Amino acid sequence: MARMKFLCDADRCIECNACVTACKNEHEVPWGINRRRVVTINDGKPGERSVSMACMHCTDAPCASVCPVNCFYTTADAVVLHSKDLCIGCGYCFYACPFGAPQYPKTGNFGSRGKMDKCTYCAGGPEADNTAAELDKYGRNRLAEGKLPLCAEMCSTKALLAGDGDIIASIYKERVAKRGYGSGAWGWKVAYKETIAI
Amino acid sequence: MKTALSQFIRGGFAALLLAFIVTTMPAGAQQPSSVNPTAQSVKEDQLLRALKPGDQLTGRISIPDPKAASLIQPGRDWRSFNQETLPKLGTYAVLGMLLLLALFYMLRGKIRIDAGPSGQKILRFNSVERFAHWTTATSFIILAITGANITFGKTLLTPIMGPEAFAAWAQYAKYIHNYVGFAFMVGVLLVFLVWVKDNMPAMADLKWFAAGGGLLSKGHHPPAKRFNGGQKIVFWSVVIGGFLLSLSGWYLVFPYNTTLADVQWQATIHGVAAFVLIALMLAHAYIGSIGMEGAFDAMGSGEVDLNWAKEHHGLWVEEEMKKGTAHMHPAE
Amino acid sequence: MLIKRKDGSAPRGAFLAGLNGIGAERLDRRSFLRRSGLAAGGLAAIGSLGFGTVREAKAKMPVPGKPVEVRTNICTHCSVGCTVKAEVQEGVWVGQEPAWDSPINRGTHCAKGASVRELVKGERRLKYPMKLVNGEWQRISWDVAFDEISKKMLEIRASSGADSVWFLGSAKFSNEGAYLMRKFAAYWGTNNIDHQARICHSTTVAGVANTWGYGAQTNSYNDIRNAKTMIIMGGNPAEAHPVSLQHVLSGKEVNRANMIVIDPRMTRTAAHATEYVRMRPGTDIPVIWGMLHHIFKNGWEDKKFLAERVYGMDMVRKECEKWTPEETERVTGIPGAQLEKVAKMFATEKPSTLIWCMGATQKTVGTANVRAFCTLLLATGNVGSNGTGANIFRGHCNVQGATDLGLDIANLPLYYGLDAGAWNHWARVWETDYSWFRDRFDVIKAADGKDVSTMEMPGIPSTRWFDATVLPKEQVGQKDRLKGVFVMGHGGNSIPRMPEMTKGLEALDLLVVADPHPTTFAHISGRKNGTYLLPICTQFECSGSRTASNRSIQWGEKVVEPIFESANDYWVLHKFAEKLGFADKMFKNITMVKGKYGMEPEPESILREINRGGWSTGYTGQSPERLKAHMKHQDKFDLVTLRAPKDVPEVGGDYYGLPWPCWGKPEYRHPGTHILYNTNLHVKDGGGTFRARFGVEYEEPQADGSKKKINLLAEGSYSKDSELKDGYPQFTLGVLKRLGWDKDLTEAELATITRIGGNNPDNVAWSIDLSGGIQRVALEHGCIPFGNGKARVNAWNLPDPIPVHREPIYSPRTDLVAKYPTRPDGRQFRVPNIGFTVQKAAVDKGIAKDFPIILSSGRLVEYEGGGEETRSNPWLAELQQDMFVEISVADAADRGIRDGSWVWVTGPESGSKARVKALVTERVGKGVAWMPFHFGGWFMGEDQRSKYPKGTDPFVLGESVNTVTTYGYDPVTGMHEGKVTLCQIRAA
Repeated sequence: MARMKFLCDADRCIECNACVTACKNEHEVPWGINRRRVVTINDGKPGERSVSMACMHCTDAPCASVCPVNCFYTTADAVVLHSKDLCIGCGYCFYACPFGAPQYPKTGNFGSRGKMDKCTYCAGGPEADNTAAELDKYGRNRLAEGKLPLCAEMCSTKALLAGDGDIIASIYKERVAKRGYGSGAWGWKVAYKETIAI
Repeated sequence: MKTALSQFIRGGFAALLLAFIVTTMPAGAQQPSSVNPTAQSVKEDQLLRALKPGDQLTGRISIPDPKAASLIQPGRDWRSFNQETLPKLGTYAVLGMLLLLALFYMLRGKIRIDAGPSGQKILRFNSVERFAHWTTATSFIILAITGANITFGKTLLTPIMGPEAFAAWAQYAKYIHNYVGFAFMVGVLLVFLVWVKDNMPAMADLKWFAAGGGLLSKGHHPPAKRFNGGQKIVFWSVVIGGFLLSLSGWYLVFPYNTTLADVQWQATIHGVAAFVLIALMLAHAYIGSIGMEGAFDAMGSGEVDLNWAKEHHGLWVEEEMKKGTAHMHPAE
Repeated sequence: MLIKRKDGSAPRGAFLAGLNGIGAERLDRRSFLRRSGLAAGGLAAIGSLGFGTVREAKAKMPVPGKPVEVRTNICTHCSVGCTVKAEVQEGVWVGQEPAWDSPINRGTHCAKGASVRELVKGERRLKYPMKLVNGEWQRISWDVAFDEISKKMLEIRASSGADSVWFLGSAKFSNEGAYLMRKFAAYWGTNNIDHQARICHSTTVAGVANTWGYGAQTNSYNDIRNAKTMIIMGGNPAEAHPVSLQHVLSGKEVNRANMIVIDPRMTRTAAHATEYVRMRPGTDIPVIWGMLHHIFKNGWEDKKFLAERVYGMDMVRKECEKWTPEETERVTGIPGAQLEKVAKMFATEKPSTLIWCMGATQKTVGTANVRAFCTLLLATGNVGSNGTGANIFRGHCNVQGATDLGLDIANLPLYYGLDAGAWNHWARVWETDYSWFRDRFDVIKAADGKDVSTMEMPGIPSTRWFDATVLPKEQVGQKDRLKGVFVMGHGGNSIPRMPEMTKGLEALDLLVVADPHPTTFAHISGRKNGTYLLPICTQFECSGSRTASNRSIQWGEKVVEPIFESANDYWVLHKFAEKLGFADKMFKNITMVKGKYGMEPEPESILREINRGGWSTGYTGQSPERLKAHMKHQDKFDLVTLRAPKDVPEVGGDYYGLPWPCWGKPEYRHPGTHILYNTNLHVKDGGGTFRARFGVEYEEPQADGSKKKINLLAEGSYSKDSELKDGYPQFTLGVLKRLGWDKDLTEAELATITRIGGNNPDNVAWSIDLSGGIQRVALEHGCIPFGNGKARVNAWNLPDPIPVHREPIYSPRTDLVAKYPTRPDGRQFRVPNIGFTVQKAAVDKGIAKDFPIILSSGRLVEYEGGGEETRSNPWLAELQQDMFVEISVADAADRGIRDGSWVWVTGPESGSKARVKALVTERVGKGVAWMPFHFGGWFMGEDQRSKYPKGTDPFVLGESVNTVTTYGYDPVTGMHEGKVTLCQIRAA
């Protein structure tokens, strides 16, 4: 099975936010929940770089580790998913996540923040693929239809890559070799405990 | 919280900033004669290396949520704290204390009233005081159980209950924890208000500690006012621990523009304070019930046996007698 | 105090307060949907326990198991022309899929394109026709709207003349809609018809067309992949045209091309540049002349190209001598060494392309700026081949098409102008008598006391309509001032001097806003009556073609029926034509089909009419059938050349979208023209030469008063395999005869030509020959119909024939105003232009002391134009919730302004002020501030939300930058000076 990963080539990312709205559109994500977002480092200065970030579907995911109810699971494609039926909205996954991926319907944590919501790698949740229940809770399941996450598919400059880790790593490597520069595979070291040697 | 990145930016780019300020002066000013943003681009590697432990890479984002501006928080310290340190701490604290108490019980047995019950009762805690105590105590027990559930529940209960039922229970537990938290806060506040004046540290306390509180040997009672040194420790632990728990808990429940690092700190403080206090309260509960004859009455009916009072709080009984405010009456 | 539970859909942070409970409303909708069973499923145990669960609105998401149909349309936001693939289930647009096959976007989108599906969910759309009655919005029917509005229009016509109704069309129309509205104005009898091109690239169109023939992007987004050096000047495509960056960055990476960004701001685009050059706003000509100074000094110019294909470069050379590195730096702030480096790269590391946008155009010297840009390209031989050219990034999705189709005060469709020849041409195409049109127009007294029809008189531009409403009657060069304004698809906050515009609005008898949203027009003034809102659908709710910036025409297929009571442009224009009494004439040759509210014009049929008349610009070959075939076979077109292999059925050999000019009739199967003026290709393969538009010879005045005859035809340069190996004039029947090629015309063609020419058929040119014979014969001989001329850098018919630097009206450099003043006052487009007086007064009054910061404006990626539509889209609005001003670190420190705090930005006119948030950044230099132009709904510190009809207020409101922008108009096109003025900023 493929090991699915995300890779944001910051030297291509122009902070156009297509990834953000594509995600909103595909899954009807409500206001206040940002499964994906774009952060700009050194904003306004020469050397500024923007990076599109969502759940990186970590190897040995911290969210899964700290979840008090074990609502996370990792699919055969190495996608980290969770069950909204089990989630109690405690916020621990958010505290542990290096990427700020978990989102909650409520800003407060009183009672419950509501069911945690995060990037599913367009792979739905524990319900049967593309059932109404899955759609309702997690949004569309593109992976089950043989499609990749829409954020990456719609990325305006093809900065955001999704797919098998080895393949996207080689695409990135090739790019860097061709153009002669690369600011790194943002988040890889933290998420996958590896970097792409250039 | 100053992140390493912001320091890095401030330091590293100060020169550049200065250059810009100079350059953009309208006329005749000098701009750099070459700016290559591609070559100057930040690299993840450099930024990560420059980052201090626990800090995060942050940038700018237009969504009005400061947490969203954090790009990568590489440290997994909180995770390891939460998954390894805290459970260990909890286990050691709770089991260790239970073990210690069992040992103590075996060695010392129940501490009796040396002079035997006098038959006369003296009012030790009025109803307001008892209300404060029991509000705090009850809510603390509930909070301890529902809180420990977060740390130990999935290991201990999931195998028994199954994931769905456990999640349902955990959800309830979280609700209960959130609501009962307020009762606890009220309780701690009351405890503080009603007893603070009697809990100011005094020289007598040192003597009390020097004598080991008279717990280790029979028939020896260092003199104590209304509260002895040990009780003052409990009081201040409850007040300070309770305050820390309340504050950190409040922020966890009502996060206000806090960074992830702040939240992690709050969760850390909450966890540590909770288990430390649980351990202490186990000891407190022991000595207030099965560990000592006559002690429970203080919080039960509020009236204690005069002999018990003289032995454990001699100075207090003297004061009460002098004031003539002691309400004594024979036991029925 | 306890903090209340916040609703799941509510936004975070300070914005909460301003939203007036949209969260609650959304939740209601959601719970409604849940109850309706559309969001069936459920969270089993937990759900039934009543805990707060997340359930998102899924009613517009696909229901598993039901068939899904994919429809193809084009993104309605910018001019890149990204294909949108819409998944439709039971008449509901349920999802968007990447359009992998489109050679333009290859599946990708920007934030706006990736969220267009929301437009037809349309939470905040105008739902039904409304009218303002004593300050209250009332719902009315379409019939009432048509009756009342047309009655009022006829009243105005009777009392004040046809010119007193002013029409504003839209760059978001389809080509068919744009054409129909231009035709509508012609039948109404006025040239007071304009659209967004006025305020975006009108100066580009004028400047570029006056240089080499056509005022459009010469190459394409895709062709930028071939460039080795690119300069992006006065544009921020990373935010304005994000998908274009795919091609730009690919060029940069694969060719290791130089990517140079010259801009006052270190933009998102500049962040990816290999060289960033910071300039002072309003000094474009000095920058270019400063570069040319180095180029001429070092002999880097393309001498062969200049000798063969360009007229007037010597005069430029002389002007550039003045722009020494020292003077250039003094004026622009750019170090000499950096500019020399950039000039060298551009001239020697070829092919080079120059990309520009509104930073160049929105100036009082906009047309001159653009001509300077063209001059740089010509001097370095960078026009007419792969990887070169003027890559002008247009704005709206169909601003190119709407410009082409004549939503313009000075043109009939397809740049025919307004002279008798033009009117006669279109009268022939429309089969309506020329004399009938003549009678529709007002007759006024000219300066010399003679009666003159306004038929050939350019109308009032969109930047000045409110002046023509409130100025004294005698200053307005038409029968009466404007009394009625009819706006279709144009925001009200895109034009400077909003405080004055508000007065104009209040003076009108009639205001009609036909738009999917109420727009700023609907709420900004104190109007109480005589205001109508008509709900128009988006281009996703109707079919039609649109022309991307690269002149490719793409057919959009209706995705869903118009939502709510909205209707399409075609039906609405037809209904008004009916009510106003000219529908029978106007729609004579247009097929009517069954639509949402009865019979409506068929877009295909409108396009065929365009094909029948669009000879001048090569809009003749793009039949609906061919365009639809292109959409079907998108995958056949090459990413870089945009061409399909010859052997592919239906589209073989074509360039994608048949970019104009696509000569001859559709059946002639011209492939379209990917790169204009490209002599490396046969004209039948899309090759060409510079257009011989300015005559054969020019009598150049000399210093001694004599005149020297200059040949304006190309010398020794011609397109591949041309039978004429030298320059030649435009083709007429007469020219064909002289060459002996008239024999190649068919009898039918000759008959048509003779019918058109009457007594003098020899004068019938390629552009009015309805038979297409002249074009066909020319092409068959390897010649381009419009002639093979020289490009000219001396545009003798324009102000400043050789562009010269002129300081902005409001300049902080009063020392330079004396040396480089703006042009003298004058009159253009029926109104006075007192720029010189305003500039002088500003200097005399010391405005620059009180308003020391240069204010510029621009684009955010999430929003488009005035932003009513995009700020009503929650997926976008969430990402930009506050209007802000970028202020430099130094200026903020001087004023004690913190990042994120509220500030007042004040302007030098009308006591204007705007309350916005400060964004303290190094992106702008000291002394420069910048604001996005997409906000509206606040005015001078006041929230206008309550003035929107209920439920139509965009999620995000904010101050408009144009509240504080100021006077200043390009004399050639009436373009405003939106990109540079002065302001003051202080903490609020």
